[in-house]
Amino acid sequence: MSDQVSELHWLTAAEIAAAYAARRLSPVELTQALIARINAHDGRVAAFIKLDSEAAIDAARQAEKDIIAGRTRSPLHGVPVAIKDIVDMVGLPTTCHSKIMLGNIAHADAPVISHLRAAGAILLGKLSLHEFAFGGPSEELPLPYARNPWNTDHQPGGSSSGSGAALAAGFVPLTVGTDTGGSIRGPAGLCGVVGLKPTYDLVSRHGVFPLAFTLDHVGPMARSVADTAVLLDALTGNVPTRRFGADLARGLRGLRIGFVRHFHETDMVADAEVTAALDEVARVLKAEGAELRDIRLPRLQQFTSAQRVIMHAEAWQVHAKWLRERPGDYAKPTRRKVLSGAFLTAGEYVRAQQCRAWMIDAVNDALRDVDVLMTVNGMDAASRLDDAADMARTYPRQARAPFNLTGHPALAMMSGLSKSGLPLSVQFVGRAHDEVTLLRAAAAYERATNWASNIHRWREVTCRLG
Amino acid sequence: MAGQAPKLDAFAVARAAGLEELVNRFPDDVEAAAQAMANDLVELPENDVAAEPWPPMHIRPMPTGSAK
Repeated sequence: MSDQVSELHWLTAAEIAAAYAARRLSPVELTQALIARINAHDGRVAAFIKLDSEAAIDAARQAEKDIIAGRTRSPLHGVPVAIKDIVDMVGLPTTCHSKIMLGNIAHADAPVISHLRAAGAILLGKLSLHEFAFGGPSEELPLPYARNPWNTDHQPGGSSSGSGAALAAGFVPLTVGTDTGGSIRGPAGLCGVVGLKPTYDLVSRHGVFPLAFTLDHVGPMARSVADTAVLLDALTGNVPTRRFGADLARGLRGLRIGFVRHFHETDMVADAEVTAALDEVARVLKAEGAELRDIRLPRLQQFTSAQRVIMHAEAWQVHAKWLRERPGDYAKPTRRKVLSGAFLTAGEYVRAQQCRAWMIDAVNDALRDVDVLMTVNGMDAASRLDDAADMARTYPRQARAPFNLTGHPALAMMSGLSKSGLPLSVQFVGRAHDEVTLLRAAAAYERATNWASNIHRWREVTCRLG
Repeated sequence: MAGQAPKLDAFAVARAAGLEELVNRFPDDVEAAAQAMANDLVELPENDVAAEPWPPMHIRPMPTGSAK
């Protein structure tokens, strides 16, 4: 349509929709530009497992006709989205990045995919992940593992590794991830983007290969809070009376935020740069009008112990047959993790679920006194991919798993840069089914700091990709 | 965090679970997995044994007219 929009790959979904409405950009032009960028750079990032170029261009042509004819269906009409390869898209393999699933062709769309198609989104392809959303980077995997676009010697986090990396590389404005122990918020933090684990069961898990049934969540990832809200609208079927971004512009005045310091100050000790960045987040929130107070929850290790017992027990049930028949087809990190559940008793699983009940109560009690919680996300910046010991050390050093256990919505976003130029992050947690307030807090912090939406910073990432 | 020794012989538990091939080919993975799980259990809090576990049991009413 026009050449008035430059750097198409860094446009947010909101900017894309505005450009379409003003006839300054067409879905075909944007989709072709993103495909060209992916073809040029994904050799270094390995975010995509399957780039579905032909179907995406066909969908873009249809979207272009519809938009020109005034039949715009939603804010995501004609906007490209890419999907973690654990979610079924009809006719495409759902590989879960595992040898075991390479021939697994989906016979139907998962409901989240149907919702995206109904919204008019362009499905660009399937994204890399840790094997079965559980393993980790390994040379044994059937396809290359994803790398962090900020520095490709470093990991992008996981398990939604491709979902974070694709956003940070400017391959796509929106991605879908899944989160059982932090798998949306981990890569969001390490890749400097926004990732939201919604309230448990808000987004359908049907057609998504399970890791742990009672902990699995599906959610949106984006380069801005507003885009995250719009993608959540679409993933939940665009209910006309509900807009998750309804309060994005309200600001922080009057909002009570509880800072859970003990997670990173005493339960675990975060890297000094992470701690300093969190203190700065607290200062900014206060300056913007929020009322901050310290909040105590159960110890972080108590949460993560219960979460891990439940996750391993449920994952064992999913994988036991393959572990008996095809143990060599798992990469080593995955095999060790899915095997762990074999060493749990039924009583230990029930005990963890009993602990879970009082931990949910503890978080609910805290959220009676404040509107939103703020915690550390990851305790460290991204490890180098060639430093297996550091990867193993930092993997459990996070405060995301508690909210898979309790089901509360939790969002991770950028809070600064380390001295080595890698993103640092913060986590905000909301009341169950109050994503509106959670997104309000995140949007106000985003406006005050401009960490995630600073185009100059993204240009630096582009330079590093060559 | 201090680890805890696996409570039972890891190989015997794995064999009882039908993982004979895995025990023979990847014995280090069996030991590592058993140790990891033992470590995780150390931090699991003591609790009221009579407490209702999550998720609470819910039974949904049948839709009207669906009974046959």
